[in-house]
Amino acid sequence: MFAFEGLGMLGDGIAHFLNPISLFNVAWATLLGIMIGMMPGLTATMGVALLVTLTYGMPGDQAILTLLCMYVGAIYGGSRSAILLNIPGTPASAATSLDGFVLARQGKAGYAMGLATTSSAIGTVVGIICLAIFSPLLAELAFDFGSYEFFWLATFGVVISGRLTSPDDPLKGYMAGMLGLLVAMVGMESLHGFHRFTFGVPQLSDGVDIIPAMVGAFGLAEILTVMRRRLDTKVLVSNDRVVPYFRDVWRYRRTSVRSGIIGTMVGIIPGVGEDIGSWSSYAAARRASKEKEKFGKGSYEGLTAAETGNSAAVPGALIPVLTLAIPGSTAAAVLIAAMYIHDIRPGPMLMIENPGFLYQVVAILLFTTVAITIYGLSMTKVLVRVLAIPREKLMPVVYVLCVIGPFAIYQRMFDVYVMLFFGIAGFILRELKFPMAPIVLGIILGTLLDQNLRRGLMLTGGDPSPFFTRPISMIICVLTVSAILLSIPGVTRIAKRALQAAMAALRPARSK
Amino acid sequence: MSEQNSRLNKADLWTGLVFLVFGLVVFHASWDMPRLENRGVSFYAIPGLVPMALGAGLALCGFLLAVRALRLGAMQKLPAGQDFKALLLDFESVRVLALTALILTYTLILIGWLPYWLATALFVLATIVVFEHVLKDDPIPLKRSLFWAVVQALIVAVVVSLIFERGFLVRLP
Repeated sequence: MFAFEGLGMLGDGIAHFLNPISLFNVAWATLLGIMIGMMPGLTATMGVALLVTLTYGMPGDQAILTLLCMYVGAIYGGSRSAILLNIPGTPASAATSLDGFVLARQGKAGYAMGLATTSSAIGTVVGIICLAIFSPLLAELAFDFGSYEFFWLATFGVVISGRLTSPDDPLKGYMAGMLGLLVAMVGMESLHGFHRFTFGVPQLSDGVDIIPAMVGAFGLAEILTVMRRRLDTKVLVSNDRVVPYFRDVWRYRRTSVRSGIIGTMVGIIPGVGEDIGSWSSYAAARRASKEKEKFGKGSYEGLTAAETGNSAAVPGALIPVLTLAIPGSTAAAVLIAAMYIHDIRPGPMLMIENPGFLYQVVAILLFTTVAITIYGLSMTKVLVRVLAIPREKLMPVVYVLCVIGPFAIYQRMFDVYVMLFFGIAGFILRELKFPMAPIVLGIILGTLLDQNLRRGLMLTGGDPSPFFTRPISMIICVLTVSAILLSIPGVTRIAKRALQAAMAALRPARSK
Repeated sequence: MSEQNSRLNKADLWTGLVFLVFGLVVFHASWDMPRLENRGVSFYAIPGLVPMALGAGLALCGFLLAVRALRLGAMQKLPAGQDFKALLLDFESVRVLALTALILTYTLILIGWLPYWLATALFVLATIVVFEHVLKDDPIPLKRSLFWAVVQALIVAVVVSLIFERGFLVRLP
């Protein structure tokens, strides 16, 4: 019954966008996304953030369609520069370059790009299926969430994002998360209407707007990073076959499905985006492969795993967006902001207030998957020309858009100054090896965390026990505390030793 | 330990100290926030509760970062030519500083002082010429760079102005 209802709504979602204007928007936004993803320094988050400012005047459904197409296109487009330049166009394609660039050097650049295209399409489809199945279930579960659960969810999001986006130095990940949360404290708090950290600046009363902050942290900071490099890179030529043989796609079907599922699951984790989806899928594929030795030396399987993993993370990242209003990635954080601008309120109530929206998102993702497949297999050699645009000519134009974009939303220079501040601060923090994703997640989740902690304590008259005793709260609390504890080197060693001792104690017992 | 690591270590020491001080300042400011007792607000619902916790958390993490950097030898002197002064004079740093100067001039001075299209054209022109002719290992001849930069600057300025002013009905800065 439920499945039929879902299929019916999916049909409605597809029919909703089967008109010339929507298809035109799919076509240009996906193409623009691919081009932005291809160019090193222009990331999916930057593209989506800049496009929010351009789609401000569009109807809500068309704006979300355009932004999603840009997001999917950019994540896919990053594979081009990873294969041809050995520089991932977006961080999501870092694992792609391991085998993709080697294949390009072997004269198989076209084939590598073709395989990346089909893998991205398969990854997105696996992610879409998970999105359609899991979102209604998760939304139903979220109806039982109270202030206690939402507090822990917000805390878990910031902690896990800090832990996973800065695996070598989780301390900096946590600090970045706390900085983001602190930024979210600026402005009028909703429980008592008190102005916090506004310093008498009236524009700060509503808090720091996420769009200018994101354009700065992912636009300006990226421009400075790209322009710093002194060496220009050489684009490898691709004159070989592009369309992959069916036997190659079929041969790695297990890898594709596994990578798709891993990518989606990683996408669901708050603030942990496509890059980690790609690396996790790649690592899992290598472990399970019969041809481990070929990984990193031009393996089709490695390339398939990386590209399927990062593309599947996109629909995965949308699952918590639609059901909990918690972003699965930085680009998804911008999407949440865009949804609010267009009066779409993501979260558990979305399924009640606007039940068809989920299936509209599924339909959009299906359309853009078709679009990337067509562009990827038919326009490979034309699109490669984008890589020839010199950064000296491109970056000033991108900065002009970084200025006018945030300005255009409320037509005030204050937002431009916010962009400038976050851009320069973001660049400095990146140089000091602080990850950006936890900051973004902190900004998005700060209000949720603050409101629900204080509201929860007010409900219990100051008794914190429900935060630790309600079943879902307890589970998320244990996960959060474990993530923090296990990132402390000494604790990891003790945990390992305890685990080994327990295993050793169990062994003789079993042998008896 | 590589020179980059020891430089980062030193930077971590200072970053940790900055965060320690910043966290304490945030904690103090949050502690001083009104408790709204006259409105019957309990301690666990005061506006400063979460900022206070965040200030304490940042101070603690900053302290841990500084201590870790010290334990990893952040106080050791960097070899000549690898210190921060050398880093600032490095070619890549000069590129970043030059771009930052161009960006700040455009955003804080030119916009609002000159018409938007002119400010934008000047920024695009100056950035292209500086990075193609001055701050490049194999510079492009000035005349060629200047000619194409003028063409691009005018196109960008006019197109962006028209799109936002006429298309999106934005009153340009």
